[in-house]
Amino acid sequence: MSLSDPVRFPRVRARAILGSRPFLTVLLVAAVWIAASFAKPGFGAFGHLRYLFELGAVVGLVAIGQTFVVIAGGIDLSVGAIITVSAVGAPLVAIPGDGSGAFAILAILAAATAIGFLNGLGVALLRAHPMIMTLAMATFLQGLLILIAGGSAVSAQNPLLEWLGDARPGGVPAGVIVWIFASALALAALHATPFGARVFALGANPLASTLSGIDARATTIAVYAISGFASGVTGLLLLGMNGQGYVGIGDPYLLSSIAAVVLGGTSILGGAGTYAGTIPGAILLVTITALITVVNASPGWRSILFGALVLALLLLSGREARRR
Amino acid sequence: MTTAPILAARGVSKFFFGNRVLRDVSIALQPGRIHALLGENGAGKSTLINILSGALRPDSGGVEVDGKTYRALSPRDARRAGVAVAQQELGLTSQISIAENVGLGDFPRRYGLIDYGDLARRAKAALDLVGLDEDLASPVDDLPLGRRQMVEIARALFREPRVLILDEPTSSLSAHEAQTLTGLLERLRSKGVAILYISHRLNEVMRLCDYVTVLKDGVVTADRPMQGVDAADLVRLMVGRDSGHLFPEWTPVADREPIVSVAGLSSSVLRDIDITIRRGEVFGIGGLVGQGQEDLLLSLYGALPASSRSATFRGRPGLPRSVRAANDLGLAYVPADRKREGLHLAHAIAWNLMLPSFARAAALSLRRRGAERGLAAQLADRFTIKGDLTRQVQVLSGGNQQKVALAKWIPGDPRVLLLNDPTRGVDVETKREIYGLLRRLAGEGKAIVLSSSDTPELVHLCDRVAVMRQGRIVANIERQSLSEEAIVAASMGAETARAAA
Repeated sequence: MSLSDPVRFPRVRARAILGSRPFLTVLLVAAVWIAASFAKPGFGAFGHLRYLFELGAVVGLVAIGQTFVVIAGGIDLSVGAIITVSAVGAPLVAIPGDGSGAFAILAILAAATAIGFLNGLGVALLRAHPMIMTLAMATFLQGLLILIAGGSAVSAQNPLLEWLGDARPGGVPAGVIVWIFASALALAALHATPFGARVFALGANPLASTLSGIDARATTIAVYAISGFASGVTGLLLLGMNGQGYVGIGDPYLLSSIAAVVLGGTSILGGAGTYAGTIPGAILLVTITALITVVNASPGWRSILFGALVLALLLLSGREARRR
Repeated sequence: MTTAPILAARGVSKFFFGNRVLRDVSIALQPGRIHALLGENGAGKSTLINILSGALRPDSGGVEVDGKTYRALSPRDARRAGVAVAQQELGLTSQISIAENVGLGDFPRRYGLIDYGDLARRAKAALDLVGLDEDLASPVDDLPLGRRQMVEIARALFREPRVLILDEPTSSLSAHEAQTLTGLLERLRSKGVAILYISHRLNEVMRLCDYVTVLKDGVVTADRPMQGVDAADLVRLMVGRDSGHLFPEWTPVADREPIVSVAGLSSSVLRDIDITIRRGEVFGIGGLVGQGQEDLLLSLYGALPASSRSATFRGRPGLPRSVRAANDLGLAYVPADRKREGLHLAHAIAWNLMLPSFARAAALSLRRRGAERGLAAQLADRFTIKGDLTRQVQVLSGGNQQKVALAKWIPGDPRVLLLNDPTRGVDVETKREIYGLLRRLAGEGKAIVLSSSDTPELVHLCDRVAVMRQGRIVANIERQSLSEEAIVAASMGAETARAAA
């Protein structure tokens, strides 16, 4: 009877969608692309745009986990370190009988998820602040990497990962295909399951959520485990694309993952947002990186420019609305 | 009366987003008079207070201070004129000390630094006035709601106001604290302070106030001396019709099987409590504010650690160890502080109504939007929550928010409803709806546990009442001997309590 009651549930207006943060971020990406194609011939070529999506997949995949964690009211500062562990660790766990490399992949994903799980345990059970917990975890992992890998780069001999890095079935890079599937799963989990609703509830008001029967511990542990898993996938994809892993390979993705989440309109305070915004957020970030690269500048200046541009974009795309 | 008012609003109107909240409202606060401002939630009382204190600017009309008319009174102007407002709770910064809260924004300075010695002296004086003897240096967070309210009032007194505006000061006060406040206000009146007093408790208003202004839907429906007005008149002016009886008919339920029984319940606050909750009953918990009532409810709900000698919940032994476990046993809890503990303010009404269902459902099952909407609309119909359910729950009035906090549990078919002061800060009309609803739920065989700071509510709604003091149950009063006197006497520890029990 009241399923389509227009008083109780008025139709969503086109203006509400057009004014939403994810849509505005898409517009911003489009504007930057159009401007860049005029400024620099070749920027808008299909091959180049496809390359941008390939790079965007890397940022987008880490940012899946970061989106869950941030919406749940936390933050994961260990994503860079987990990426590095995965990229450096995959060649190390290879076993002789494993021709396809599937074992190494599964082992690394399990390890990455376990690291995320430990982050979650620390936050949920020890009540460590998410920043402290994940930063300590990152430092711990970096030390571990130096011990086991030394300073040298390791090359992968893993057919599956090589395929992931190079293959283009139907012209679409394999990494982008992985990203599309993962995005669909992430969006469904966030917006179409009770689990997703619990993540939003926890981030918006942990006390009211607990008193409403939501298991805050289990939900917290789950989002950090998701973030660990997503970082693991990202590390493997990077290894496939690069051919080798080295200490520090994951470092740039910490700021990128958080920036993509926030650029997409997810509240850094938790409780509100969507992965649908993180997707254009990730594309926007790699676009900026690409533009900076064509400006002939030293790495130091590139880094400064990148940081400044991310800040400027955040101001442009709307600051956090004041709450309460 | 011919005395010139200190503070007055003249023909004030105010719009919010095209909705008229106040229309041509005038009110005059005279020295040495306690002036009542009455109206249901949403009648425009808060808006009027904000205009009088300079926090809001009227769209037309003006505010007059000592005979001088301001088109746009600033908060600074108002403060300088001696206007102080004691907000309805939550105006305090919880992590800083009581003394700092009292002096906040008006710290005494010496050499450009805060003079803590002077602050402590003056804060102490203000706190003494309201009868608070807590350690000045302890954070406000540690205080129960009623005491926090007293700190809020002390904060207004700290400024030695000529005009004191009190927004529902007694809604979370115990009878004893309310009495202290009454005495204080009478003293201030005799010193010539103009007092504006907002409250939902009519008896109190009629006893204390000299003059009354009634608002209904943003319009003044009465502005006259209190003398010669009776409670029924006031309710009619607020609601616009005869209020009838506030409380539903009391009809005992035949089947009153025990559903929860606990013996020797103890925690850091609770001392050896024996309690039996029965089907079909409204079981009241009374007492002064902060005597462990909330701890008792939360311990039964698995939200606070507690121990017991023996406990049976719906046939199963042991106390629930977590909220989830309590929910699975059929317990539901409606908190007193609905904004912080009960609702997700920035989320949609419909979403809030579904939250316990989200907690219950399998984590990765698919949500069915159509079914969710149907259920939310049904709940809204049943609890008379009007309008668009996709709005944020914070746009609703306090009473309607409370209905959402209660309604969200109904889909899970709870057997025991633990209610922590569900009618605090709720307007008369909604109160009556909630009372009717509780009786109906009890009639359906649910057990209702009602902790309340409103004594008439306990007397008229409950089948029996347990009175708590210092973490113990000091009296169990059955229906036939229930009276306000019996409850108050037991709460204060008077000997008559034993006799009544």
